[in-house]
Amino acid sequence: MAIENISVLKLRDILLITVPPDPDDRTISALQDQVLEAMERYESRGLVLDISTVQTLDSFFARTIAETVQMVALMGGRTVLAGMRASVAVTATQLGLTMGKALTALDVDRALDLLKTALPRGSNL
Amino acid sequence: MPEQTNSSSKSPETILGTDDSFRLFVDSVREYAIVMLDPAGHVVSWNPGAERIKGYSQEEIMGRHFSCFYTPEGIQRGLPEHELEVAAKEGRFEDEGWRVTKDGKRFWASVVITSLREKDGRLRGFGKVTRDLTERKQTEERIRQQATEIMELSTPVMQVWQGVVVAPLIGSLDSQRTQQFMERLLNRIVETNSPMALVDIMGVPTIDTQTAQHLIETISAVRLLGAQVVLTGVRPAIAQTLVHLGIDLSNITTRSSLAAGLRVALDMLNLQVVAKNAGQ
Amino acid sequence: MSDTHQGEFRIGSESDIVAARRLIRNAATSLGFGITDVTRIVTAASELTRNIYQYAGSGLMRWHCLTEGVEVGLELTFEDSGPGIPDIVKAMESGFSTGKGFGLGLPGAKRLMDEMTIQSEVGKGTKVQTRKWLRR
Repeated sequence: MAIENISVLKLRDILLITVPPDPDDRTISALQDQVLEAMERYESRGLVLDISTVQTLDSFFARTIAETVQMVALMGGRTVLAGMRASVAVTATQLGLTMGKALTALDVDRALDLLKTALPRGSNL
Repeated sequence: MPEQTNSSSKSPETILGTDDSFRLFVDSVREYAIVMLDPAGHVVSWNPGAERIKGYSQEEIMGRHFSCFYTPEGIQRGLPEHELEVAAKEGRFEDEGWRVTKDGKRFWASVVITSLREKDGRLRGFGKVTRDLTERKQTEERIRQQATEIMELSTPVMQVWQGVVVAPLIGSLDSQRTQQFMERLLNRIVETNSPMALVDIMGVPTIDTQTAQHLIETISAVRLLGAQVVLTGVRPAIAQTLVHLGIDLSNITTRSSLAAGLRVALDMLNLQVVAKNAGQ
Repeated sequence: MSDTHQGEFRIGSESDIVAARRLIRNAATSLGFGITDVTRIVTAASELTRNIYQYAGSGLMRWHCLTEGVEVGLELTFEDSGPGIPDIVKAMESGFSTGKGFGLGLPGAKRLMDEMTIQSEVGKGTKVQTRKWLRR
């Protein structure tokens, strides 16, 4: 029952996390903890969650993401979900899942561009 | 088909087909397998059609139980016994299903089993007529495949510029077609890395609640990917229907024409079309 | 190869949820379901497996290939001896329109699959049977 190692990358004042293909519940919960910890440590203004390899997005995962987005917002940051797969988007929509106030982008590059325009002046990207 | 209910003037042997002209008829039919079974289900009569379709010669099959024509799964599920039961109780049993030839090859069969009774109601046996429908099934399969291809051809998703895909929908949309369209649109957006998708419904005459729901779902799904939809070509009739259905399109960008939609798309991508001789 | 088309799996811990997903992913993929349908089936299985773990603590997931004439499908069964669902009708409504209260995950799973039957008795347990057919 090992928690998969999720690395949090710091790019100037943005955090980048690559989510593994099929994380278990513990990993997803740990991800939330790691995000908040890093947000505090680095005072980041933005978070990019790279979900391009994620194969299954069920209600637990969606709820955790929505919560994380809210928490990050409370800490002064904005979140972008990058690279959702077509099959996952279809399923998530059918399930009626919302990811809260997360922004979305086709890939990490576009996510970083998006944050550049979305973050108020003074962003260090 | 050998329906033997009015046999008052005929002897029992006639029912089993020793009558000359009837036997001649049965023996000439090659398209149908016409087989007689005793009340327990053993083969007591065979015809050239049966040999052609099922592969057994008369000598090989006489006396054998007719369950040998069924697939292993069919036998496991008790189909032979069940079908005789229904035929005995209700007079006939009719179905389509897989059967097996002597060589173990599967074929799709249309089967009618009729119970044959004496004047006093005693069960004499069963008449079974089988037709090989494999060819018809293959044609049906081909038609189904073509229908899918036509559907795909008529709802193309085309990349018209870097970052922009256009999907003109033409014809009436049913639930299935809209769902397939949604999957195709999403896949193309990911493949081409296009943040803008123009969905044109000028060619859609009417729209019902379920299809409207699917369209809304499609737009939501596109947003989850990180792209946007501009809905264009919304005809007055469709606009009316959508409003009457209470569908909320307030957070969806719409334009009346595809051209106008393209302008929006280019604008959102910070692109501009400039004439070649501009400034000269 | 035919082993992946049917089987059963005991659910007793949180990590069993992702294990269940993987088993069903294999089964659905090997049956020939397209990627989108595989995702639907796996997501439904994830919801229903999580229900068992969250509300009953333990239970059983079974799956097998279905054939009906020319149609091919996959049937999943989720059984537990948990608290049961007091009002199934209500449970099927919850979280559907609001998008919140993901609660039992049942309405979501139902939307993703083609057929679903639920049997439940308070104090005795719940059994959910659900099917998806291969689209021709």
